[in-house]
Amino acid sequence: MSLDIDPHIRHSTRHIGRSVPRREDRGPLTGRGRYVADIKIAGMLEVVLVRSIEAHARIVSIDTSEALAVEGVQAVFTAADLADVKTFPDYIPYIGPVRQRPLATDTVRYVGAPYAAVVADDRYIAEDAAALVAAGTTYEPLPTVADLDQALAPGAPKLHDHWESNCSFDVAPHKPEVDRAFEQADHTFTETYVSQRQTGLPMETRGVVADITDGTLTVWSSTQSPHMVRSTVALMLGMPEPQVRVVHPTIGGGFGTKTHIYPEDIVVPWIARRLDRPARWIEDRMENLVASVHAREQRHDVEVAYDDDGTIRGVRCASTLDMGSGEIFMPGTAPVFVTNACITGGYDFPNMQARTTGVVTNKTPSGAYRGFGIPEGAFVMERIIDRVARLTGTNRADLRLRMLLQPGQTPYVMHGGGRLDSGSHTESFEQGLEMTQPALERALARYADDPDVRVGVGYCNYVEPTSPSYHLTTGHWGGGDAATVRVDPDGSVRVAAGLSSFGQGAETVAAQLAADALGVSPENVTVVLGDTERAPYGLGSWGSRGAMMLTGSVLLASERLMDKARAIAAHMLEAAEADIVLTDGAFHVAGSDQPSVSWAEVGTAAWIRYVDLPDGMEPGLETSGYFHPENLQHQLDDTGKINAAASWSNGAHIGVVSVRVSTGEVRIEDYIVVHDCGTVINPALVEGQVHGGVAQGIAGAMYEHFQYDPDTANPRFASFMDYLVPTCAEVPRMEVDHFESPAPEQPLGVKGCGEGGTVGPPAVVAGAVSDALSEWGVDLTECPVTPVAVRAAIRSAEAAGAGAGS
Amino acid sequence: MTISEPISEVDVEVTINGRTRRHRVPARLLLSDYIRDTVGLTGTHLGCEHGYCGACTVIVDGDAVRSCLMLAVQADGGEVRTVEDLAPAGSDSLSPMQQAFHDNHALQCGFCTAGFLMTLESVDPGEWNEPERVVELLSGNLCRCTGYQNIVAAVTEAWSAYHGGGGSRDG
Repeated sequence: MSLDIDPHIRHSTRHIGRSVPRREDRGPLTGRGRYVADIKIAGMLEVVLVRSIEAHARIVSIDTSEALAVEGVQAVFTAADLADVKTFPDYIPYIGPVRQRPLATDTVRYVGAPYAAVVADDRYIAEDAAALVAAGTTYEPLPTVADLDQALAPGAPKLHDHWESNCSFDVAPHKPEVDRAFEQADHTFTETYVSQRQTGLPMETRGVVADITDGTLTVWSSTQSPHMVRSTVALMLGMPEPQVRVVHPTIGGGFGTKTHIYPEDIVVPWIARRLDRPARWIEDRMENLVASVHAREQRHDVEVAYDDDGTIRGVRCASTLDMGSGEIFMPGTAPVFVTNACITGGYDFPNMQARTTGVVTNKTPSGAYRGFGIPEGAFVMERIIDRVARLTGTNRADLRLRMLLQPGQTPYVMHGGGRLDSGSHTESFEQGLEMTQPALERALARYADDPDVRVGVGYCNYVEPTSPSYHLTTGHWGGGDAATVRVDPDGSVRVAAGLSSFGQGAETVAAQLAADALGVSPENVTVVLGDTERAPYGLGSWGSRGAMMLTGSVLLASERLMDKARAIAAHMLEAAEADIVLTDGAFHVAGSDQPSVSWAEVGTAAWIRYVDLPDGMEPGLETSGYFHPENLQHQLDDTGKINAAASWSNGAHIGVVSVRVSTGEVRIEDYIVVHDCGTVINPALVEGQVHGGVAQGIAGAMYEHFQYDPDTANPRFASFMDYLVPTCAEVPRMEVDHFESPAPEQPLGVKGCGEGGTVGPPAVVAGAVSDALSEWGVDLTECPVTPVAVRAAIRSAEAAGAGAGS
Repeated sequence: MTISEPISEVDVEVTINGRTRRHRVPARLLLSDYIRDTVGLTGTHLGCEHGYCGACTVIVDGDAVRSCLMLAVQADGGEVRTVEDLAPAGSDSLSPMQQAFHDNHALQCGFCTAGFLMTLESVDPGEWNEPERVVELLSGNLCRCTGYQNIVAAVTEAWSAYHGGGGSRDG
C-alpha cells in the first residue's frame, strides 16, 4: 500500500512512517505540563469523598454536625442532597440494572463506595472533616460475598435486592459441532484457569475540576472520553449539552480506567452548581486503589477434546467475570465477552463453545484495563495448547505452527464472528522463533553450571481487535469519530478531533498525517484534542482506536479540504484543476514551477479576499470528516455473532525465563515481540506502546494482585507496599520486530497497537515457567507467577509423586 | 508556648530554584503541597503521596527527596531544586538529559518524568553510569507507560560521555 496520499501532492519529506519527535514532550519535560491537579481557579473549593469502610452494609445514619463545625468547611453533601440528579443510565438490556446513584443511598456494596462529599477551603481541612463524617457514620453490616463461589452459592446474600441472584448475565450458546468433536476425539481433560484482579493504575490518579461561568458548566476531567462525559453530565444534571463543556487537560495515563464515567464526574460539577463556586476533587492513591475500576478477575472452566497426534478437536469454555459490585458506568461487563471472542487468538480453531457469565461481589467494580479481556483468553488458549502438547508428546512450537492461520487464510471469521481481515499470524510466530534461538542459547549457557536453575520458553500468539464498536459495551454509543481541518488566512493548519490523548502521542500523529495530506510541514499544524467545545463529537481513546480513527477522520477531512483548495488555486492561477499540483506547500501548474500560490494566499482568498475566489464559491476553508469503518458491526447478527472491531492486529510473544528451583525466583531473560499493527505511522510511538504494554502484562503475570479477605470482603491492600508495581529492575529488555499487514478497510491501512503488548506476558511467563519445571510436571493455571506460587507448584508436584525433586 | 500547644503555623524561608521565598504556612503542610500550591510550581507531581512512586522527587540541599514525605517546615533555610530549574533559563533548549528523554521517546504521559529527571540530576553520573547502577538508580521511580526501556536508553545516551560510550540506544 502506498503512503502517498494524493498523487498531486509532492513532498521533499514525507512524515508518515517516520519517527517524528513528539510535540507533547516539552511540557512534562520542563514542568510546564498542565494536569488536572495543576488547575487552580480563584475561589476554588476542595472536595473530598467519604468512602465506605464496610464491604456490605446499610447506612443507618450519617452525622455531619461535627464536620460542619470545622472552620473552613463549606458543606457536606450526602445522597439525599443529590435527589435531583438522575441515576446513571442502565443502557444495556441484557445485564442486571444496577441503578447506580452518584453517592450511595442506603446501601454500600464495596469498601471504597462514596457516600458523602465534604467541601472545604482547602484539602487539609476537607480531609479532617471527612474523617469526622466517617466517624459519625453508623453502619448495619450485611453478610458479604467475596468471590464467585460465595456469590453463586444457594442462598447467598444478594447485592442488589431487585435481582434474582448475584448473576448479572449468563449467555450460554450451544454448538452441536463442538459436541461432535468431543464424541470423536481420542481424549478429553478438564481444567480451571484463573486470571487475578488487577488495575491499569495510571501514575496520575483521577481528578475533576468544575466551574460555572455565564451559565456554562466547564468540567476539566482526567478522562479518556470527554464527549461521553459531557453527554452523561448533561443528562444526569438535566442541562442542555451545549451548556456543558468537558476538557481534558494533560493526562497522566489512563490504560482504560479513565474510560469510565465515575460518580465524581457528576458530583463535583453538581457541587460547583449548587455552591456557585469552582470545585476540585483530586483522587489520592489510597482511594484510587479502591475507587477506580479493577479488572481481569475471571475464572475459566474448560473442557478440551484432543487426539493422540496433538490435534485439539474442540473446547468448551465457561468464562465467569467477577464484576465487583457492578456499580460503574459504563458497566464493566464487556471484557469477558472480548475474552471469549478472542480466545482462539491467531489460531484456526472454530470448534469453540464459550459461555459468558458475569457475577457481582462485594468488591470494587471491575471495568476496563488495557487488553480488555484479551489477555485472559490468550492465557487459557496457550495453557491448553501446552497441556495437549505435553500429554501427547508433541513439540509445543510445532503444534502452534500447525494451528496458526496460514498466509492467505484471511479474511477469516472466528468462532464468535470476529473477522480477521488481515494479518501475519504464522509469519510473526516464525520470525519470533528465529529471534528466540540465540536468546535461548544465551540463557542455557549462562546457567549451564548452576544446577539450581532451569530454563524454559513460553509462547503466545494473539489477535487484538482494534477500533471496536462501543455499542455492546455501553448499550448506547457506536464507534466512529470525527475530525475538522481548517486552513486559516495565514496558511496555518488547525486539526481538531474528538479523540483524546494521554501519552500515546496522538497530537504528533495527527500533525504527521495532516502534513502529508495537505503538503505542509508538521510545524504548521496545530492540533486540538480533548475539548468538547473546540473539537467535534468523538468517543475518545480506548480500544486501540486512536491511530485508526484519528488518521481515518483527519484524512477524510483533509481530502475534502484539498478539493476546495485546489479549485481556489486553479482559479488564481487561471488553470484547470486537474493540472494543479502542490509541491512543498505551494500550488502551481504541473510542469511549471512558476508562478505559484501559497497556502496563505489560498487561505486568505477563502476567508478574506473573496475577489480571488471562483464565481459562486462559498467562502471558508474548513471541512469535517466522520470516519466509520464499513465492516464494523454494532449488534449481533441473526446467528448471535458479531465482528465488533474495525480491524485486527496480531502478534507473537515469546519469553525465555530462568527459574531458581530452591527459591522459586523467576527471571525473564529475554522477551521477544513480533508485532503487526498494519501501516505504521510513527515507529517510535508504536514501539513505545509495545514496551509499555508488555511491562503491564508482566506486572499481571508476576506481581500485581488485588487480594480480599474471604470472610469480610475487605481489601488486603492499601498502598504500593502491597500492590506491587514493577520497577525498572523487574521489567526485562524487550526485542521488538514488526510486520505490516495493512488494514484493508482503512484508507492508510492503519490498525491499532495500544493493547497488544499486555496480552502475551501471562501466557508466556506461565508457559515458560511450566516448561522450565517440566521435569516436575508443573503446569501453571493462574497468575501471578510469584516465587511462592512456583515453590507451591513444585511442592505439590513432588507430593503427587510426579517426578524427582530437587 | 508550652509543648502541649500545637504549633499551627510557621514562617519558612526556602530558596527554590535560586530564588528565596518567605511564607507563613501551616505546620503540617507537606513540602510537595508547598511547592505546588503555595509557590505555584506544578511540575512536581504527586503519584502516591506515600513515598513510593518517586513522582514528587525534588532536590533538597543536594539530595533527592520525596517531597510528599517531608514537611515544608523541614526545608526551612534550605535550597530546593525542582524540574522547572533544569532547562537553561531564557531559551527554548533543554538540558542534555531532558533532550535525551525527548530523543529516545522516554516519556509518554509525562506524569512521572519530573521525578526521574530530578533523581538523575541528584547524582554524580560518573558513579552511576554502569548499566546495573543505572537500573538500580531508576528503580526508585515508577513509570507506567514506557516499560522503562527507553528511559534506560535515554540515560545511557546522556551519560555516554562519562564512560566513553557511543550513546548506544540499545537499552
